[in-house]
Amino acid sequence: MKRPIVHPSPSERELTGPRYWRSLDELADAPGFRAQLAREFPDGAATIDGVDRRQFLKIMAASFALGGVGLAGCRRPETNILPFSRSVEGVIPGLPLYYATALPLRRGAIPLLAETHQGRPTKLEGNPAYAPHGGASSLLAQASVLDLYDPDRATAHTRDGAALTAAAVGDLLAGIGRKYAPERGAGLAFLAGESSSPTRARLVGQLRAQLPNARWAEYEPISEEPPAAAGQAVFHRNVRPRYQFAKARRIVSLDADFFHAESDSLYYAREFAKGRRVSNKDDAMNRLYVAESGLTLTGSMADHRLRLASSHMLALAAALAAKVTGQPAYLAMAAGLDVKPAWIDECAADLAAFKGESLVLAGSHLPAEVHWVTHAINAALGNFGSTIELLEVPASDASSITELAAAIRSGAVQTLVILGGNPAYNAPADLNWSELQKSVPDVVRLGLHPDETGALAGTQLAAAHYLESWGDARTADGTVVPVQPMILPLFGGLTEIEVVARIAGEANPDPYALVYATVTALAGGDPAPAFQRFLHDGLLAGSAYPAVAPDFDDAAIGRAPAALPALSKDHLEVRFVTDHKVDDGRFANNGWLQECPDPITKLSWDNAILVSPRLAQELGIGSTGAVLQIARDETENFVKGKETAPIAELALGDRRIRGPLHIQPGLSNYTLIVPLGYGRTVSGRIGQGAGFNAYPLRESGAPYVATGATLRLTGEQMQIADTQQHWSMEGRDLVREANLDEYREKPDFVTEEGMESETPSLLDGPVGARGGNMTLAQQSTQIPRGNSLYVTPKFDGYHQWGMSIDLNTCIGCNACVVACQAENNIPIVGKDQALRGREMHWIRLDRYYSDGKLDAGAFGGDGNRATPEDPQVSLQPVACMQCELAPCEMVCPVNATVHDEEGLNVMAYNRCIGTRYCANNCPYKVRRFNYFDWNKRHIDNFYLGPLGPNGMPELLKMVKNPEVSVRMRGVMEKCTYCVQRVENGKIQWKVKATREGRPGDVVVPDGTIKTACQQVCPVEAIVFGNILDPQSAVSQAKARAQDYALLGYLNTRPRTTYLAKLRNPNPRMPDYNALPLSRIEHNLKSRPAGFNEGESS
Amino acid sequence: MAHAEPAVPAILADVKPAVLPRPALVENHRSFAWITEKICGIVEGKTPVWWWWCFAVACFIACFTVAGISYAVAVGIGVWGHRTPVNWGWPIVNFVFWIGIGHAGTLISAILCLLRQKWRTSINRAAEAMTIFAVVCAGIFPVFHVGRVWYAWFLFPLPNSNYIWPQFRSPLEWDVFAVSTYGTVSVLFWYVGMIPDLATLRDRFASVGKKFRARLYGFFAMGWRGSARGWSNYEMAYLILAGIATPLVLSVHTIVSFDFAVSLIPGWHTTIFPPYFVAGAIFSGFGMVLTLMLPLRAIYKLEDLITQYHIDCMCKITLATGSMVGYAYAMEFFIAWYSANPYEGFTFINRAFGPYAWAYWIMISCNVITPQLFWFKSVRRNTTLVWVLSLFVNLGMWFERFVIICTSLTRDFLPSSWGYFSPTVVDIFTFFGTFGVFSVLFLLFIRFLPVMAIAELKAVTPQADPHAGAGHS
Repeated sequence: MKRPIVHPSPSERELTGPRYWRSLDELADAPGFRAQLAREFPDGAATIDGVDRRQFLKIMAASFALGGVGLAGCRRPETNILPFSRSVEGVIPGLPLYYATALPLRRGAIPLLAETHQGRPTKLEGNPAYAPHGGASSLLAQASVLDLYDPDRATAHTRDGAALTAAAVGDLLAGIGRKYAPERGAGLAFLAGESSSPTRARLVGQLRAQLPNARWAEYEPISEEPPAAAGQAVFHRNVRPRYQFAKARRIVSLDADFFHAESDSLYYAREFAKGRRVSNKDDAMNRLYVAESGLTLTGSMADHRLRLASSHMLALAAALAAKVTGQPAYLAMAAGLDVKPAWIDECAADLAAFKGESLVLAGSHLPAEVHWVTHAINAALGNFGSTIELLEVPASDASSITELAAAIRSGAVQTLVILGGNPAYNAPADLNWSELQKSVPDVVRLGLHPDETGALAGTQLAAAHYLESWGDARTADGTVVPVQPMILPLFGGLTEIEVVARIAGEANPDPYALVYATVTALAGGDPAPAFQRFLHDGLLAGSAYPAVAPDFDDAAIGRAPAALPALSKDHLEVRFVTDHKVDDGRFANNGWLQECPDPITKLSWDNAILVSPRLAQELGIGSTGAVLQIARDETENFVKGKETAPIAELALGDRRIRGPLHIQPGLSNYTLIVPLGYGRTVSGRIGQGAGFNAYPLRESGAPYVATGATLRLTGEQMQIADTQQHWSMEGRDLVREANLDEYREKPDFVTEEGMESETPSLLDGPVGARGGNMTLAQQSTQIPRGNSLYVTPKFDGYHQWGMSIDLNTCIGCNACVVACQAENNIPIVGKDQALRGREMHWIRLDRYYSDGKLDAGAFGGDGNRATPEDPQVSLQPVACMQCELAPCEMVCPVNATVHDEEGLNVMAYNRCIGTRYCANNCPYKVRRFNYFDWNKRHIDNFYLGPLGPNGMPELLKMVKNPEVSVRMRGVMEKCTYCVQRVENGKIQWKVKATREGRPGDVVVPDGTIKTACQQVCPVEAIVFGNILDPQSAVSQAKARAQDYALLGYLNTRPRTTYLAKLRNPNPRMPDYNALPLSRIEHNLKSRPAGFNEGESS
Repeated sequence: MAHAEPAVPAILADVKPAVLPRPALVENHRSFAWITEKICGIVEGKTPVWWWWCFAVACFIACFTVAGISYAVAVGIGVWGHRTPVNWGWPIVNFVFWIGIGHAGTLISAILCLLRQKWRTSINRAAEAMTIFAVVCAGIFPVFHVGRVWYAWFLFPLPNSNYIWPQFRSPLEWDVFAVSTYGTVSVLFWYVGMIPDLATLRDRFASVGKKFRARLYGFFAMGWRGSARGWSNYEMAYLILAGIATPLVLSVHTIVSFDFAVSLIPGWHTTIFPPYFVAGAIFSGFGMVLTLMLPLRAIYKLEDLITQYHIDCMCKITLATGSMVGYAYAMEFFIAWYSANPYEGFTFINRAFGPYAWAYWIMISCNVITPQLFWFKSVRRNTTLVWVLSLFVNLGMWFERFVIICTSLTRDFLPSSWGYFSPTVVDIFTFFGTFGVFSVLFLLFIRFLPVMAIAELKAVTPQADPHAGAGHS
């Protein structure tokens, strides 16, 4: 609506006088001038000329939409690439969506389902469609989601310190390809980590076809070269053994930690548990013999464990081979072996009795000779094809890092592209990689984190995390699985395949297109549905490596006598191992992993040089016990409850490192276990400064086992955060154990070892019922709490939740600890607070050693103050027991912890004032207190309080599970059986039942609801469910005779009960004990000689 | 009160034993005027230089508590040494320590009043003041030891829109009522007993023309005129309050002991705790009374009012309660052995010989051995020695609480969770500062209020008894 402005013409009088004009245009009375006069606003303001109310609102609405909707939605991929199993309309805000993806590991991958909330992944679970893992996943998979939101990630592409745009990076990479095209790649080299990705393999093939003179090298600090070489030697094919533990009844492991260190350990643990699980007395149970130098998770589960230096394993394998195969030639190889012959004889006899159902395996770090010999044993036992599958795997033709180093040294490399990995940190020390890398004129590095290698590279490219990348991978059995992004790259990171594709001059370097091309080619058939199927299922069915049955070439095996280095205090063996948490160092900046206690040493935030108790004595740092010692383990290294470790210098040749010493029971006397992956010098806030770096000691000739080391105490000490100070059960009935034979005679042996409460019948209880005659599940659901002014919840609802933990299959892998942390927003507290005993894990793994000796002998007698050299290990996961008569509830003055109708002991965080009385009164010590604002403050300056930096980094907020409160300081927290999952499960079931016309059907079927710890558990040791339903898995487990309650005599009536641990020792072995050692300790302590004799009749 | 005459042995008629004179409660035949002058003189005189010095130092020390608590509230209670499994550390130790000290005052005022132990009169006022100040110090800790002190009001049964009540099964909730009731009754008792003396001060200030002070004391004297009706009502009120306070003496520490006894932690879960805690509290309370009264007696030359007889009496009570505590220690061990409960057994062996054995033996030496010296008259007569020993009693009783709380928690059921507790500097300073808080209050008390019950003292002087102690008491 414009109002025309009529400019009057000059009047007559004006025209007669002197005439003034503002411009020549006015004088000329040009039409343009007239038009300008007609405008209400002068130039510049005219841009909004013509805006009316309607249009204004339109523009504002559009900008609001951009500002608001765009902010929320800009992280979503714009192309419709995510396969919704329902239509998009099915997306309900507030409900999570699940997508299939996979965590690529150095060899293999773990298929996963990622839970996303509003487009951000918060929790990963194993993909149940991948049968070998059955929905389980590992510690590393659980923690990997935190890496996505690591505030210390590489966030920008830089060249010589200046930021590069995405377009510039594309040009740069394409430029490399073009630059070397004329020379056909001469002067260009690549160094990458190993990868199972078929797309990368395809692109590397393409790259090498185009640039045949370029060098492609792969390096992993931990590789499986020896087994591959052995396979090649004795089968003349490139085969990889895949062990079928479920079928094996007798297993001999030679230094193989197949629960952790082998590439398919998740599958192996799961299969092992199948052979281990005993649900009634007629079940068969496998028997595990382990010979090892360190104490591993596998060794902890052993029925017979032999401590032997890794460098002596070949001799042991040969001695065993001589017995099993009957070929005396092997005896010569075993000359000088210091192992009781009976051990080998009986072990061999036991194997021979289970031909085709036995399994002998060697650690992949052991030399190829050991693998030859184990192959020979397995061949003689007929295990190939039954307990061992041989998979034919594609051979790698990549150069080694040593060859690459030689090329660099000769000046043949002008441009080096380093894809992932961290060679400046973990390359063999003799290569002197840092100097080599500096000598290359142009280094382009793709890395997820700023690290040692990146710091030395001229061009750094930020890599995308696997949860924001398109990719693919193969699991250990070769099944192709997708790596699907949940979110656009947070920092515009690139993937490895994209970089390779750009250098290779691929026309469409979009990773999605690359993966699509690879997978559809592999799948065959109609590409689009096949790819949709692939993404939906999370795997490509039938793509596993083929199992082959090659002939075993016995003649290929050398029979040269094994070199047996004589080990002593001055000639030590060093065994380099991957860490349980930070692996080879790649997870060093992950707070969940750093804080998670090592399953064996229970150290968090640090690694240590592990020494045997014998060596510790010889070094003069062993435990001599307190003057008056009343418990088994008051060692000298603990000063006021903090492990104060002596620092030693470890010398191997002329290389030296320094690190704290931790005395570890169960080690071979003169073997030092040195975990890799710590001591990062360039890392984020978490990884930097944690532990010491052992790589400088490692040479390419002896990357896993080296001998000839010496240890020198420096006289300095440091505190290391050991989360479990006491290793002894002190003869208490906490982990109840029996040998299989005893179990078969007395399936209810648990009642003999420990005491349950005799809960009397109360006024309104079942008439005549005594708690002692009821099962534990009945006690906790049938006996009213009674005689209280308070209303007792009835037990007649639809659900009463309970949990059963099978100690027989738990291997202590820690996956539950971190799964719980991810699910329940559990904060980390840092090393300083962990040292003060304030770690927050809702579930912990108690690890006890027992050696069958009485006690410390405080009053007279020698006592037994020494740390055991050869202990049996007992593991026990402990989380809130959800006691029916919860000691915590009755002491809370403000009603902040209360019982619900379904048996959960729930926390009302908003009501909690933090008296901590509940935590004192909890006999299981599972309650955790927020001493500081763990979430709001930074772990370095809790003590500054409001003066320190405030608030959680935005990025870290994204990992929080929106269904669980983030607790503030001053409140108590603890396990709630994942109450959010329970409630979700109930709601979803109700909705489903109502939709299907069964509104009254509210009882959730068994197995629908899984707690986070149960879901992740690879060995299915944790079972959760409705104990009112006698058919539920948990009721079945609790109905078994070896079900017992931890500290049941306190009449807490816990909802979580344990299934006792069984051991299956061979009575003919020299180290046979008729009772588990912890049981012997218990009997010695609680039943002194003659005390109970009169009662037994 | 006439004693029931037992059958008198015949020999007594022959030997005619002399009647043992009761020791005088006020010596040297001091007159009423002297007593009034002596006690009012403390309030009316010029502020001594030493008082200012002491007051300044006490204020400085009190700042430690203020600073420590401010820090803990601002940052989080992680600044203390607490950890899993020791979720209660020094604050609760200090709470029980101070509340225990607060027992002697009301015991002296109420129970000894009901039992007509007249020697209580010279010490009851100061002891009651000590009680109240100790309860103030004690009250700081349970309030500020919670994680979110700004929600501490959840502990009170306030009607609110959430319809959430406190949880009345929790001993901590019982504590809230026990301690607040005790504090209230103690203040009332103290104040009511002080009314005649405040009136005396009012009158004396008025007579010298100090109008402001006369009005101030007059306000608190509530119009006391010393009439017979006034005295009659006063004494009835005092007796009723004594009756109310008596069970509280027993209940407060009984309930404090329930904090431990009701739990299931070995070393806490013990039926002996209520009597043992009460005995311990009286023991520590008398220790503190001795610690405070002996210097006061020396400074203000009150030897005629606080006589050797008073000191003897207090020493003997200390001896008796100390022996009870020693018996309780022994009985705990006996029960631990007799119950054949391995967890309980270990806890007690651990107390005596484990990592905290040093604390345990400090406790035993101070609480069991020290009071045994009071069997000897020569010890009781050496006031310096008695004072030093009273310090040991205080020290020992602090360690008793430390031993009970910390050693039991550090090693309970699951050895995997065992730990070791060490206090931090914040713990130590916060506790140290409470002595400043206490001293500030006590110094103000001796400066501005009559430190002894003037009216009652006069009633126990020899000249107040016209029969001169001839057995007609």
